[in-house]
Amino acid sequence: MNHQTRVWITGVGAVTSLGHAYQSVADNLLAGRSGIRRVSRFDVSQHASQIGAQVDDIPCPPGWDAEEFGRLYRMEQIILASCCTALHDAGWWDRRQSVRFGIVLGQGAEWLTIWDSDMTRGGQRLLRSEARAEPLVKQACRKLQLTGPAISVAAACASGNYALAQARRWLELGWVDVCLAGACDAGVTGLGLAGFGNLRALSRRNDEPEAASRPFDKGRDGFVLGEGGAMFVLESAASARQRSARVYAEVAGCGASSDAHNMVIPSPDPEPAIAAMRQALNNAQVEPAEVDYINAHATSTPVGDIAETRVLEAVLGEAVHRVPVSSTKSMTGHCLTAAAAVEALACLIAMERRALPPTINLDEPDPECNLCHVPNSARPHRVKVAVSNSFGFGGSNTCLVLKAV
Amino acid sequence: MHADVAAYGCVQAAPDQFPALRQKPGPGIGQSLPNNFLKHADEQTVVALAAVLQAIEQFRMSEICFDGWGVAAAPFFLGRATLVQALQRYAAEGAWGLSPHFIPHRSQHAISGTISQALKIHGPNFGAGGGPGAAAEALLAGAVLLEGSRLPGVWVVLTGWDPEYVPDPEGRPTCETTCQAVALALVAPRPGWPGTKLSVLPCSRNERQDEQPAKTSPLSPTLQTVQQALRASAAETIPLLWELEGGGRIELASGGLNGCAPPTAFASRIAGRPRTLQQAGAGTEKKR
Repeated sequence: MNHQTRVWITGVGAVTSLGHAYQSVADNLLAGRSGIRRVSRFDVSQHASQIGAQVDDIPCPPGWDAEEFGRLYRMEQIILASCCTALHDAGWWDRRQSVRFGIVLGQGAEWLTIWDSDMTRGGQRLLRSEARAEPLVKQACRKLQLTGPAISVAAACASGNYALAQARRWLELGWVDVCLAGACDAGVTGLGLAGFGNLRALSRRNDEPEAASRPFDKGRDGFVLGEGGAMFVLESAASARQRSARVYAEVAGCGASSDAHNMVIPSPDPEPAIAAMRQALNNAQVEPAEVDYINAHATSTPVGDIAETRVLEAVLGEAVHRVPVSSTKSMTGHCLTAAAAVEALACLIAMERRALPPTINLDEPDPECNLCHVPNSARPHRVKVAVSNSFGFGGSNTCLVLKAV
Repeated sequence: MHADVAAYGCVQAAPDQFPALRQKPGPGIGQSLPNNFLKHADEQTVVALAAVLQAIEQFRMSEICFDGWGVAAAPFFLGRATLVQALQRYAAEGAWGLSPHFIPHRSQHAISGTISQALKIHGPNFGAGGGPGAAAEALLAGAVLLEGSRLPGVWVVLTGWDPEYVPDPEGRPTCETTCQAVALALVAPRPGWPGTKLSVLPCSRNERQDEQPAKTSPLSPTLQTVQQALRASAAETIPLLWELEGGGRIELASGGLNGCAPPTAFASRIAGRPRTLQQAGAGTEKKR
């Protein structure tokens, strides 16, 4: 295979605060429902931000021992549940060992998450040798009985787009026949709330959880932590056609760049993020005016949403007032490492349902964010080309272009 | 996929060397970084940047503009000691006890992000792996990035503590250990390149696992074995190979005459073998 190889998404699995089945996530996103509420899994009384889009019951995949699944760390559960659902959805579950099946997992702080989870349960893994420990992606590979290469990639909130880009390239190079790719995070924890809270990045609208995440709105005051994951089955168009597989979309273009400015603060210079978007559009051979929907990174922070607006204005040009833009973080919260993957799923839903998921809580758009918004209610719209931006700590800028097939 | 290893640097530092190393992580641009640039960085980030700076210095790449390059960095149990302290403070002081720098500087993108910032790299940067097997993951991901994105070059950086940093309940190491890093500058293969070459070869659909050539290490590459292989590559006449989990292999091979020879495009003279941190002068300026 080569650069001309078309790579299609043929399976989806997700764990989100809006549901775990594709249909329920789609229904809730398009109904404008929020998954954000007061965090109940641990004591948040000392935290400035006490809200989150937490995932409560992670479904045990069919065929798995529920007790054994229940003993896994939440991050492990999210990964396995997402992967299993995607494999079943794609129709590869029973034949997954007959091909070179790879996996690229986006994750952000795997070991810190595991050690924190373990300590919470009273364990001591943090203080013992972990030389023989098995990374989550290898564990997933073994438990799912996949035989291809397995790696994890980390670019903070942009991790999912890096994972999709890497998997797409593996398929183009012929390294794998089929590949799972996506990202997962279990970030609604005490350390997560405290760490981002002390960065003053989180909303403190604790009395109105569902109204707290309000990207592009004049009253936004920070993002809301979310968690979950989405994994996708990627394969060549030829393979999908041969199997008569259901096709969600083509992974048509990927772009990535770095700000080289600050580990946390977005660059005041929009050029690096502009470059990532243009790279992705060029890669997909799509003109800006051909874009039907943009799922913005927009996290609901005062600085970030304006910075992304400048990027969209530059890339779209005159089309900026016609191309619909929404931020589904208004409903899912900011799923951190999993954000790009969950938002790629939102793009697939927009394509399949021919409707644009809204930015809820967009009551008074910030004049500095003068875009073609989809405020508060979903809107019918045929989406053939969807773009998803994801930017992250470490100065990462990524853009994914998905095309309807 | 094949790449020339245009430069490499290997650095190790004991815990007592970090205060100086944070101030001046290395020669060249390492001297001109703001004094607080690495103030909140993890030790693995500090040695990672030092290894990159050492490679630039040794292989005479200081005139190179890295603007379009990429970075793939593989930490190994990043932030472990800091997590011990963070959990203690969180338990004792509540939410306000956690440093706002904890997440940005102890997440697995922290090393690649810091290097991109230091070198003004505007290409992609990301972390790969993070624990056992991280070296193979970074070499694989870095090679894919170089080949797929047609970048002028990619820094692949591996870091970790040797032996493993197992913290005590205060976060201090339970044995003597040093923090290590190796940085490889990968560029597209050029005809006649006499230095070290990296190949990442997938297992083709029909290839049998027992057809691996001789001299294959039974284990995946690690930070330590990659360092040894780079240092030995000048003398080796046959490739050093590691098997990749999931099929395929990684190969480091000498170009022939001198595995340490810098590429002519980047250097005006032959550079020497890798120096120790002290030999490179990194972090020792105050002492001299």
